[in-house]
Amino acid sequence: MSARTRRRERRRLTAGEVVVMAVLSVLVLAVSFPVLYALLNSFRSYAEITKDPMGLPSGFSFENYVRLFQTTDYGEALLNTLVITGGTLILLLAIVPMAAWGIERLGGRSSRWIYLLFIAGLMIPFQVRMIPLVSSMNQLGLYSTLTSVILVHLGGAASFGILLYCSFIKGVPREVEEAAEVDGAGKLRTFWSIVFPMLLPVTSAFVIIQALSLWNDFFIPLVFLDASSAGTINVALSRMVGLLTSQWELIYTGAILAIVPSVVLFAAFQRYFIKGMSIGAVKG
Amino acid sequence: MTVQTAERPAAVRGGRARPAPDRRLTRHRAVMLLFIAPALIVYVLMVIAPSIQSIQLSLTDWDGINPAYEYVGFANYQDILTSDRFWNATKNTLILGLGSAVVVNAVALGVALMLDKLHHAQGFFRTIVYLPALVSGFIAATIWKYMLNFNFGAVNTVLRDLGFDDAAMDWLGDNDIVVGVLLFIICFTLGGNTTLIYLANLQSVPQDLVEAARIDGASRGQVFRYVTWPMLAGAVTVNMTLMMIAGWTIFDQVMVLTAGGPGFVSETMAFFIYKVGFGEYRAGYGSAAAIVLFIVVLATTVLANKYMRSREVQA
Repeated sequence: MSARTRRRERRRLTAGEVVVMAVLSVLVLAVSFPVLYALLNSFRSYAEITKDPMGLPSGFSFENYVRLFQTTDYGEALLNTLVITGGTLILLLAIVPMAAWGIERLGGRSSRWIYLLFIAGLMIPFQVRMIPLVSSMNQLGLYSTLTSVILVHLGGAASFGILLYCSFIKGVPREVEEAAEVDGAGKLRTFWSIVFPMLLPVTSAFVIIQALSLWNDFFIPLVFLDASSAGTINVALSRMVGLLTSQWELIYTGAILAIVPSVVLFAAFQRYFIKGMSIGAVKG
Repeated sequence: MTVQTAERPAAVRGGRARPAPDRRLTRHRAVMLLFIAPALIVYVLMVIAPSIQSIQLSLTDWDGINPAYEYVGFANYQDILTSDRFWNATKNTLILGLGSAVVVNAVALGVALMLDKLHHAQGFFRTIVYLPALVSGFIAATIWKYMLNFNFGAVNTVLRDLGFDDAAMDWLGDNDIVVGVLLFIICFTLGGNTTLIYLANLQSVPQDLVEAARIDGASRGQVFRYVTWPMLAGAVTVNMTLMMIAGWTIFDQVMVLTAGGPGFVSETMAFFIYKVGFGEYRAGYGSAAAIVLFIVVLATTVLANKYMRSREVQA
């Protein structure tokens, strides 16, 4: 790869490359158009939007952003989404890497069966377990609580986590762990202070992928949170859409705010993003 | 990513060099089982148990609320398989799921090939190409819903301003075009992760191979057809499988944009299950539809892997 990079630096900008750059830029602009449109309209009033749908904002007033929090449940929904995303991530990290290590170090036929049981979950759509889960959560008194959403998410994400961590742990040498044990460290300590730090590359990928999908999820909170809860951002937005007199300007504003955390996460961890998405993808 | 499940060494590797006394090995295994236990318990309670319970419920006439229900055998399955509404939902799911898998993969591959051509600012373009993928399907659909509004939507406004008054349509309310509009919105992306996976694979194609082919007089098209494409087969398998599995459960866009309407015209299988299970209080019937969905997903995954694996180059 390094030879290739060196060659790349020496090359001059060709006409072909300029064309490719132009085409890519146009494509990105076209695909981003709805978001740019929503962004512009988040600075306009309802009257302005309906009078001239393609008009530009007359100024950058943040009135819609203030009203979104004052007149709707959006603030509470934002908090709920944060709790669900953060809570699920922490619990996933507490149980999944440990389980994957256990599976890999257990050995024998049982190890393989447990692994396959987890992997089978990748093929079970949420719809298949949805109806019984709602009735169980009802019986447990957990229906329409954030706990129920977190629990359901945990089960759904476990399969992917086990797949990711197991394939990574296969490449981790045992010698270090064995040395730690000879030195008298217990299994739990060996895992958290020696093995877990070595799993950082896969942990960062897992956290980023899960954070995005948890933040963006709509179906699970829609099913498990009823009107007694403010819902998550997406659920709150869909309720605003469902109103007879929907406030377009607030919905555009809410949509833009929902994207911000993803963009911030991406900007902060761009390198891990691209690596994470390609982990296990090359020669799958 | 789903495909690397096969071939794991199942043997215990403990027997190597270090003489492990049996008691220690048993203790080791017990501790490892304890490590697995929390995740396994949550997973079984949240995924396996409810899935099995779904099979049981699918054989009943349960309404989802009343604790009493009766077993009706395979009546629900019979009803589903003879229901026009279900087959319409299946057809839509195929159009949207398979259609978007093909279109998005083609677009993503095209974008990845263009990115791979860049020798300057590749990182920058890779970043901006990925940016649109940060917008979830739900948010994009919500924005589109208003852009497609008949009276005040951006799309119809532009069309009317340009003088095409007849082309301004009730995009989400017209039986004949609504599924096509949904497909367009679902495909309105540059692929995001799919593109990244293709790009990573393109960059792992050995340059020597490409150069050798060029020296032997192969055209650009031939290089792609006989060198690059076979090397990409693994990535195509992964991407198509992932997108088809996701395609079978398309829900968000339908829920936001049309809620299955007009009538039942634009329902998908996932939406159908949601609607009959919760909206129409036919939990038993909904469970049966969910089991049908599961069988379809299982079959797709197995067949897609089998078919595409057979085309892969074993490097």
